[in-house]
Amino acid sequence: MGYAAARGGLDAILAAEELMRAKRDGGASPPLEISQLTERLNLAVDRVMGEAGLWAPDLAARALRQAEGDIIEAAHLLRAYRSTRPRLAAGLVTHADEIEVLRRIVPAYRVPPGPQLLGRTLDYVGRLLDDGTPSGPAHRPAATSGNGQASHPDHPDHPAATGTGTGGQAEDPARRSPARLLDLLRSQGMIRDRRRDDDPEPHDVTREPVRPGVPRSARLSVMARAETGALVNLWYRNILGPDGYIHEITLGEVRHGRLPVRVTHPVTGQPVRLGSVRVTEVEAIEDLDGPDEDRGVFDVGYGLCLGHNERKAIAMANLDIAVERDGGQSGLEQSVLMTTDGLDASGFLEHLKLPHYVTFRSMVDRKAAVRAAAGRPAPEQQATQQQTAQQQTAQQQTAGVTR
Amino acid sequence: MTVAELAAPAGTGEFGHLDEQSKREIRSALLTAVAVPGYQVPFASREMPVARGWGSGGLQVTLAVIGPQDTIKVIDQGDDAGVNAANLRRLIVASTGVADTTDARAASIIQTRHRVPEDPLAPGQILVLQVPVPEPLRGVERDMRELRRMHAEADYSKIWVSLYEDLVRNGVITQSTGYPVLVGGRYVMATTPIPRWDVPRLHQAGFLSLFGAGREKRVYAVPPHTSVEPLAFEDVPFQVERTEGAACLLCGAAEAYLVEVPDRHAWICSDSDWCWRRRSPDDETGGGMREAADD
Repeated sequence: MGYAAARGGLDAILAAEELMRAKRDGGASPPLEISQLTERLNLAVDRVMGEAGLWAPDLAARALRQAEGDIIEAAHLLRAYRSTRPRLAAGLVTHADEIEVLRRIVPAYRVPPGPQLLGRTLDYVGRLLDDGTPSGPAHRPAATSGNGQASHPDHPDHPAATGTGTGGQAEDPARRSPARLLDLLRSQGMIRDRRRDDDPEPHDVTREPVRPGVPRSARLSVMARAETGALVNLWYRNILGPDGYIHEITLGEVRHGRLPVRVTHPVTGQPVRLGSVRVTEVEAIEDLDGPDEDRGVFDVGYGLCLGHNERKAIAMANLDIAVERDGGQSGLEQSVLMTTDGLDASGFLEHLKLPHYVTFRSMVDRKAAVRAAAGRPAPEQQATQQQTAQQQTAQQQTAGVTR
Repeated sequence: MTVAELAAPAGTGEFGHLDEQSKREIRSALLTAVAVPGYQVPFASREMPVARGWGSGGLQVTLAVIGPQDTIKVIDQGDDAGVNAANLRRLIVASTGVADTTDARAASIIQTRHRVPEDPLAPGQILVLQVPVPEPLRGVERDMRELRRMHAEADYSKIWVSLYEDLVRNGVITQSTGYPVLVGGRYVMATTPIPRWDVPRLHQAGFLSLFGAGREKRVYAVPPHTSVEPLAFEDVPFQVERTEGAACLLCGAAEAYLVEVPDRHAWICSDSDWCWRRRSPDDETGGGMREAADD
């Protein structure tokens, strides 16, 4: 019993689902293939994986298609999917120096240790709306990827994945595993040394909720899966907003590349490589200029997120060092930890669309109580007065008397 | 259990949607919550198939405590047929196969957004309340580190001062729903936002109340037979919502939580099934509230 009686709401949501499905899967154009999303909208797919905190290009593309391109919705689908999955193993620690870079720039020096490798970037592509002419391999036979190779950099057949470099030219492998500027600066004694001797387990934000005072690993994890726009906004707010806490860093590394993923083999007990993930990694050099700080050295903030998303990793690195320097003096740490998750913020914002008539009735009750205490007319009486006033206004408007 | 079973496609294997590890973790947090009434216990809130802020915390609590023998009732604002109630109900029923009902007396678990059913609930029944904001002191303190200290030391002076200032400025205490209460004489707790009408019904209740805040990753509880006292001054009594002369347009009830039909200057019960049963005492098919919206 009962189920049928409560069908009013169910019928409505089933109808809404059908309207969503009909528009998304209908229309005259051919259905979207997963490979189209991973190849042609790969930055959106990367962003979904980054904000979901899950490396799964095909699942992320499916989520993006199902969500009609809504990044947060797609990230939600991916995270909710992962909630149903048990945790079978934990990856072994991978040093970020194992990265095989697809792009690496060092704005801090003209000639840094290792190459300046511009790689694939929109940074210097003119922001000119194209004329709609397809520009794929078939239409540009002489261009870079005209050999039918997979175009998504995560695809195993992609030239970068085979270690042959782009364009099939022989290449020095060291170019793909460059030295770090930070190591050089550190050897020169230019960096405040915050490295620790113990090796604590990182704080797992998916298993232990965070709150101010958590270790740095929690802060970095939260930002790694934060919404890109939230981090960018928090950064900019603190640069230009009324309560700014931070100043601009100098970028020491901006890297996009692959990191291997390894687990312990359950039978042999040996490390075994499962594959790789693409990450964006940023090291942000901070000029220490506080009254209690050592003005003779720099400090460094760190950013790393899944996929190619430099905007996010840079904001993350700058906020990381800003929270460190702030030392709990302001609300910055709480802002970083508690307000940057896309699912949290969007979900709570949108919950305002839920029925709120129980709470609203209670508020109206208090308005009446305040009025009664002050001897003002009750809402009903005022409503009658207002109705009269509205009728008068309507009559005036009908007569063309408007302001 | 085999690896193949563990890696089964989503939504096909697990009773109650979440994997067993997650459910055990939530139960563990709930046991702490029951042991320390009114204390907000952090838990690793999972991402659910509903958005944060849409009952994800209540849903996790329900799925962690539900068993195959349970009967579930889900209401939003007191209404079984509300769209969000219908959505949560279908998720719970689809992932567990449990029976559902609209009759609060027949349910072993009642998941609710912002109401306590009008029916007196019996010992053994569990009320799962969806919580948007679990922190009762947020209005008077924003810093989370300071909030922890205030709860730890039972330093509730700021909220008392804010109630006093409210009274002095406005002549009445203007807090509408989510009225702060002192639980078990120790912790100040946010009452989801249930209306003040429902607050006294938590006091020394025979049933168990579990509160789930998914977005803020907290659970808390009021165990049976626990004192729940609204923060109020001795000479200024706590007031529930009441409008002189108001009675339900459909069932005539005056002693129930009524919501307004503003353009008709009329009132209807927020608890739709209770209202329906008062009108049709002999009908066993269960209530519903579409009439109120339709007629």
